[in-house]
Amino acid sequence: MFEFGTFIVSIVTFLILFWIIKTYGFAPLARMLEQRRVLIEGQISEAEQSRLQAEQYLNEQHHLLDEARKQAKDIVDAARSRADEQAREILIAAEEEAGRLLESNRQLIERERVEAMNQVMSTVSSLTVDLSEKLLHLHADQATHTEMMQEADKMLGDLAC
Amino acid sequence: MPAFPYLFYNSFFRINIVTIAMMILTGLIVLIVLRLAQRNLDVRKPRGLQNLIEWAIDFTANMARDTMPSERMVQWILPLAFTMVIFLFVANWLGIIATISIRLDHPIPWLGLTASSLALAHGEVPLFDSPTANMSMTLGMAVMVWILSHAQGLRHPRQYFRHYRNPMAIIEEITNPLTHGMRLYGNIFAGEALIGVILTIPLLFGWVPISIPLLLIWLLYSGFVSTIQAYVFTILMTLYVGHKSYGDQTDHA
Repeated sequence: MFEFGTFIVSIVTFLILFWIIKTYGFAPLARMLEQRRVLIEGQISEAEQSRLQAEQYLNEQHHLLDEARKQAKDIVDAARSRADEQAREILIAAEEEAGRLLESNRQLIERERVEAMNQVMSTVSSLTVDLSEKLLHLHADQATHTEMMQEADKMLGDLAC
Repeated sequence: MPAFPYLFYNSFFRINIVTIAMMILTGLIVLIVLRLAQRNLDVRKPRGLQNLIEWAIDFTANMARDTMPSERMVQWILPLAFTMVIFLFVANWLGIIATISIRLDHPIPWLGLTASSLALAHGEVPLFDSPTANMSMTLGMAVMVWILSHAQGLRHPRQYFRHYRNPMAIIEEITNPLTHGMRLYGNIFAGEALIGVILTIPLLFGWVPISIPLLLIWLLYSGFVSTIQAYVFTILMTLYVGHKSYGDQTDHA
């Protein structure tokens, strides 16, 4: 009971229905699925890209942090060494200053001493001369005079030293 | 044997009106369901019917991927495979949900409802039936697929004709569309025929309805068979077409 008319007409009917269903039923869904595929693909690649970028940023920041740490250490080291140096310089300067002061004081003392000595000498000389005159008034012969002068010289020399 | 109304009953070109009308109804149902699914089409958040249809498309695409040689061919066959699977699913289920017949006592000769055919069917004229319970319709589908597969094969004639150096391949080309169509027809027709038979079982002792559990079991089984047959017909279609898609054999997924 094969019916040729049904056979042919069902093929034609199905093809027409297929065309209608494909155009109005399936195509919008397929378009939407394609849109979603594109969307998901885009988002995945975007996520991958941002992950890469984040990694890069992280590396960069690690690098920067290391650099900053190193720089800070360098700065501290430099400051420390400069401080040490300065301290040493100050110490040396102070020592020099002290030495210089000491020296100048010593010179001053020396000069004063010499001056004082000179004064004392001149005083003593004049005194001696006065004394000698006074003594010579009493009794003075050549011998005594010489002896006394020698003695006075000697004593002055002892004093001068 | 129920008496179907026919157009051109006395000619060679005899058309079963119920089958064609049911095909159109099936197509309408499919189209309406698909349009309903698209009412709130959302790329990001699919919900409700859209989800179901998306799943069906995905299912069909996976089915085609199993049998087609390349992704390009999968995308090419996908509209047809999807339409076929959902169309056959609805068509097969229509006969399980309801078969409506009327009792006609007066013959209508121009619709092919002659006195003899009505007498043979005890006046039973079906008006609502599975279109796939008609042999001519399923064979039509199968032959359509057969023509499609050969048209696909003839795009690469050298490989296509090399296949037929073995004459057994020619026998296969005859049996394939026959079994392809008859398998669908047989399953659906048997399901409906047995439903009809179970419904005529008389009550035991006049009041025990022993046909009810049988009917339930058979309806469940028929529903299972209807679903499976829609799947089988479509996967065989993709298989036959994929088998003759010679151009893309290289990148077999």
